[in-house]
Amino acid sequence: MSADLEFEKLVKLYYRDLYRFGLGLTGSEGDAADLTQETFYIWANKGHQLRNPGKIKGWLFTTLHREFLKTCRRRKRLVDEPIDEGSASLPDVPPDCVNRIDSQTLLRFLREIDEDFRAPLVLYYLEDLSYKEIADALAIPLGTVQSRISRAKLQLFRRLTETNSLPVQEK
Amino acid sequence: MNTKEAKQTLLLYRGPIDDGDPQFRELLAHAQRDPELARWLQEQISRYNAIRSKLREIEPPSDLTERIIRQRPIPFPRDWMQILKIAAAVVISASITAASLGLWQRERHSVVQGQEITVKGEVLDMTCYIAYKLSGPEHAKCARDCIRSGLPVGIKGDDGKVYLLTGKAGQPVNADLADYAAKIVTIKGKKSIRDGFAQLQVEEIRKF
Repeated sequence: MSADLEFEKLVKLYYRDLYRFGLGLTGSEGDAADLTQETFYIWANKGHQLRNPGKIKGWLFTTLHREFLKTCRRRKRLVDEPIDEGSASLPDVPPDCVNRIDSQTLLRFLREIDEDFRAPLVLYYLEDLSYKEIADALAIPLGTVQSRISRAKLQLFRRLTETNSLPVQEK
Repeated sequence: MNTKEAKQTLLLYRGPIDDGDPQFRELLAHAQRDPELARWLQEQISRYNAIRSKLREIEPPSDLTERIIRQRPIPFPRDWMQILKIAAAVVISASITAASLGLWQRERHSVVQGQEITVKGEVLDMTCYIAYKLSGPEHAKCARDCIRSGLPVGIKGDDGKVYLLTGKAGQPVNADLADYAAKIVTIKGKKSIRDGFAQLQVEEIRKF
């Protein structure tokens, strides 16, 4: 197979996943498309350095996340503490609550989550990656990944609960 | 472990994808014995699936694949046959130019004299530079390989002028310059221009 066809095949295989990941991170369709394009551009230049074809997907997610971080102003480092009793008190989110919101609202809620917590949460929801694979893709320790996902879920659930407490608007 | 502690860990459980994860194994067994925890876990999985479905409903712009493919840079490793063809084209073109110039010079009884100059700049793999405009540290490895394999080598001076680097007749300079690929060096040599092609016959190489 020629390099062109291989590249096209790879794009078609992963561009949706990467775009959704980018959208989950940025909340902007334009930025997500730019990040996806940039990721494949970098792949075309450097992808040959990857020896293990089984790690292509992880490599692409890592690259997109790295490019995303480059565009963000670095904030103070977050301290990843174990979830304490207070933060672990789970909001009561009715199961049908999610069905009452659309994808754009969900993206807005994700955008409100702390940036360092958002990336693992988006991968947690979107991709069939193990926690180890998420940790590898984001270059953070496994325990940190799980801690960040738990915290991010709590933030998201609180937001969903607030929405759920609002009266349903009639169309 | 009490139910509250179990929920803290099971909050991460997504369903079958996490079944092989040892941290959930005991807790899932615990949930089978605890109806309240089992109901909570089922709701938690339903919420996970609902959020996942919402996010996966999102479709990228319809022209995104086309944009990515269109803007794709030249990939590495490149087709070496193609590189050799381009290199051959460069050499043939230079030869034709030189031959034409030679005829023209013979006709006019004039010789292009070499002028001694010093150029500071980046060592280029001319094939990749002319064909793809590739240079700089990111391209260093490829440039080194290309130069080492005998493809034309050049230098781009600080003033932006590019010179084809040559040795004396029968003495290629590729081996001397390959390790300097994409690096800044100072080269002293004799400059000559033939029909638009600038050439520098290397006399001295200094790493900058």
